[in-house]
Amino acid sequence: MQDFLQFTLTGITIGSIYAIVALGFVTIYSVTKVINLAQGEFVMLGGLTMFSLVSVGVPYWLSFIATILFVTLIGWLMEFLLIRRAKGADAISLIILTIGTSIFIRGISSMVWGKDQHTVAPFTENTPVTIGGASITPQSIWVVLIMLLVVGLMYMFIDKTMLGKAFQASSVNPMAARLMGISPKRMSSFSFVLSAALGAIAGLAIAPIIFPAYDMGAMLGIKGFSAAILGGLGSAPGAVIGGLLIGLFESMGAGYVSSGMKEVITFSVFLLILIIRPNGILGEKTIGKGGL
Amino acid sequence: MKLQGVQQTKWWGVVVFIAAILIFPLVVTQSFFITQATFAGIYAIIAIGLGLLMGYAGQISLGQAAFYGVGAYTTSILTATWGWSPWVSLPIALFVPALLAFFMGYTMSRLSGYYLAMATLALGIIVHGLLVEGKGITMGASGFYGIPQLSLFGMTINQGVPYYFLVWFFVLLVLILSLNIVHSRVGRALRSIHDSEIASSSMGVNTGRYKMQVFILSAAFAGLAGWLFAHMSYSISPSAFTFDASILFLAMVVLGGSGSVWGALIGALLIRMIGITVHTLGERFTFITSDSEHVIYGLILILVVIFMPKGLFPTVVDLLKSAAIKRGEKKSSVSVAPIKPSVSE
Repeated sequence: MQDFLQFTLTGITIGSIYAIVALGFVTIYSVTKVINLAQGEFVMLGGLTMFSLVSVGVPYWLSFIATILFVTLIGWLMEFLLIRRAKGADAISLIILTIGTSIFIRGISSMVWGKDQHTVAPFTENTPVTIGGASITPQSIWVVLIMLLVVGLMYMFIDKTMLGKAFQASSVNPMAARLMGISPKRMSSFSFVLSAALGAIAGLAIAPIIFPAYDMGAMLGIKGFSAAILGGLGSAPGAVIGGLLIGLFESMGAGYVSSGMKEVITFSVFLLILIIRPNGILGEKTIGKGGL
Repeated sequence: MKLQGVQQTKWWGVVVFIAAILIFPLVVTQSFFITQATFAGIYAIIAIGLGLLMGYAGQISLGQAAFYGVGAYTTSILTATWGWSPWVSLPIALFVPALLAFFMGYTMSRLSGYYLAMATLALGIIVHGLLVEGKGITMGASGFYGIPQLSLFGMTINQGVPYYFLVWFFVLLVLILSLNIVHSRVGRALRSIHDSEIASSSMGVNTGRYKMQVFILSAAFAGLAGWLFAHMSYSISPSAFTFDASILFLAMVVLGGSGSVWGALIGALLIRMIGITVHTLGERFTFITSDSEHVIYGLILILVVIFMPKGLFPTVVDLLKSAAIKRGEKKSSVSVAPIKPSVSE
């Protein structure tokens, strides 16, 4: 029981990160129909930028803001320089374009930050707290709180602001949105900016837990993509559920079987769920039909 | 008339290709380049299969390295652990990945698009994880040693020129088989699926079955490449069959041109050549590292998608064709309706 509680807490912590990454996928997909496999690189850039700023002595709050701004700029550049120019390309080409971008960003990052793992000090003092025999570090609590905050802010933004409504409109019906004076180009840019910001937040939040390195983006991107697919591509609540589930599978797999088998277990369960529910847990009925 | 033209270019291309295979080891004698050319041939086999899947069946596989790895490990276990002859294990090294693809395609038949892409990605990660963790059978992360060499008529096929010819003989077989598929009824059906799945299924094309067949064939090709790789290297480890390898195969197809058998072959050669060039430059200039290689692969993918969405080979063919049509128009005043090649060979 104590083990189970411990694995659940670990699963929720890491699952929160996957949930934020998955939200990034959904944000871009719902507006542009692009699957951005470079999403994990935004997280990596967030973690490593945070490391660089903190290690030269920039205060934490300033590092947060600077990191988010920097990664957001990268996201904007990616949309402006690459995605916009490949408009009209088919879905396979667009996936490949984002894979190319992610390899490119990873290569540059390994030149800038080297191949070592880096350490970032936790946000607050990090003595583990014990809950019912399972221990959790304050940094893990930070991660979960940040996830909840991000999800809450996203909801407020999408549902309560004018810009959010325009964003929603262009994801539901781009043509009608355009007729109402919403610029699809601006919304496309905006979706990349927003999801880069989400990635940066995820990256800086886990930096103290997972020792950021240049090559962490690929796996995070893949897990985030799985979470988005599992939840049902295009569904924001689905992304959160998918992220938490992937985190839990992974933590249970590592705990009860072996840490080497955790990926095998996670993706096997993932495939099983897809066989049962081909459109994901909260997926739309139409998605996934007709092929790429 | 158009069909005739296609047939002519096809066989003309094959003849040039055979000549190039035969001449290469006469011109280039350094063993380093022979080995690289042998590797390029192994990759070309995978790329041709993946090209059929992407260009003709319109499906993306992000886990092709899994089939490559399964082929390599199947033959390694059968020959090194159980003592079978490599030639007897050959059909099994093709069959096991094909069976895996069948199982995958069967259970995933309700999936397509991004969902199928993700499922193949998941398969790749699962297979890699099992290769590392199945220590009792696969020897784990350190890999398999002592895979027997191939021999034919009592003679060992050594690394170097003999193995080069063996690999490229198989490339030739795969190439001819693929060209025939592309020009057959199946190929036409696949092209119609690629253009519009709904339209072709309403015309009575069993879209699911054709897509599945191509998926299985591409897995068998990858298995063949794995068999060749295992018996060439004598030792294999899971590190050769990662997600990165799958992406590299994808890059070959995209660069050369999906929807083109020749394109996939050329893409494989070019990616290999870029790898060698970066590696050679890296020995001379310290600022060029293995990271630069990745930056370059990334840039290639980006630039090709933006500027040559069809890939190198079809783009060049289109340019040549439109130039030929223009010349024809100048010579005779008879207007020739420009043929828009939807998918070149």
